[in-house]
Amino acid sequence: METTSTPTPAATLHRGSLGTAVLRVALGLTTLFTWLGNVQDDFYDSANLPGFFDWAFKPVEEGGNGATLGFVDSIIANTILQAPELFGWVMTFLELFIAVGLTLGLFTRAASIAAIGFFVSLFLVYYGGEEWIWTYVMLAAAAVAVFLNWGGRKFGVDQFIAKNRGESPAGLVW
Amino acid sequence: MIGSVVASLNARLPAAPAPAWPMALGRIAMGVLWLASLRWKLPPNFESAGNTSLREWLELEVKHPAIGFYGNLVESVVLPNFILFAWLVFLAELGVGLGLVFGIGTNLAALTGLLMSINLFVGLAAVPGEWPWSYLMMIMWHGAILATAAGSIWSLDSLRSTKATPQNLHPKGK
Repeated sequence: METTSTPTPAATLHRGSLGTAVLRVALGLTTLFTWLGNVQDDFYDSANLPGFFDWAFKPVEEGGNGATLGFVDSIIANTILQAPELFGWVMTFLELFIAVGLTLGLFTRAASIAAIGFFVSLFLVYYGGEEWIWTYVMLAAAAVAVFLNWGGRKFGVDQFIAKNRGESPAGLVW
Repeated sequence: MIGSVVASLNARLPAAPAPAWPMALGRIAMGVLWLASLRWKLPPNFESAGNTSLREWLELEVKHPAIGFYGNLVESVVLPNFILFAWLVFLAELGVGLGLVFGIGTNLAALTGLLMSINLFVGLAAVPGEWPWSYLMMIMWHGAILATAAGSIWSLDSLRSTKATPQNLHPKGK
């Protein structure tokens, strides 16, 4: 059977920009080193994970962060805290996927969608508390910019995948 | 079925390379960050109730220096001339904030913001409770704004310059 190869459109190869590549790598390394620290501290352990959320919503006067979004507290109590071991593993692999994906520019579109969800979730968890909320605004905004600007198509593995495989399904993977 | 849906979605992907507006949005967000940070360092006292004051932050830098030389500099030069430096900080942050929000002298504002972010990182990296990655995020964002045409749209610069265009994101015109 004869096969024909369609040339990859120029736009597919030349999406992305230097600025977005800077954002992507910095965001990936930030996530990677934070993940490494969390693994070393057993943060994702089912015995420790609930303690983090308890601290996040505990009033400042009692030594907590003092986050104020009650509906977020309620959602966490009814989901993550019902199965902390499962969610601990989910967070372990999700954060690793984000970290590796963004650092290498591998499956960047999927990794940046995951990163948007992750950082917006953190923003909601910390909102109203003592934590400097702008940290999470910057993280989420960087993930949004990486997604919208095809962050893996410059200095990323996705550049080579796109060259060989063309556009990803619905533009949501690489 | 799925294949045709994916093909249809892929056909709708923009043919143009990375758009300028996500970086412009990031530029504006960083400007708002600087302006919001002025709330707790307003003249003439450069402090606000319930927040750590500018002087207290400087004293923390002296107490927990990441680099000894920097701590000594703050202790011997900045703190004895606090009012002068507080005004400089206030005006610089105001200028950078307005510059980034409105896109006036965007590159100068981004460069100044970059240097101020490096200063914050060096000064606060070793202060207990601070997350140094927050300051690296600020450095990264200002670097990305500098490296792209973040001021080419939604900015006053774009009204008075023909040099800054969205095509600057892709100098080769790809």
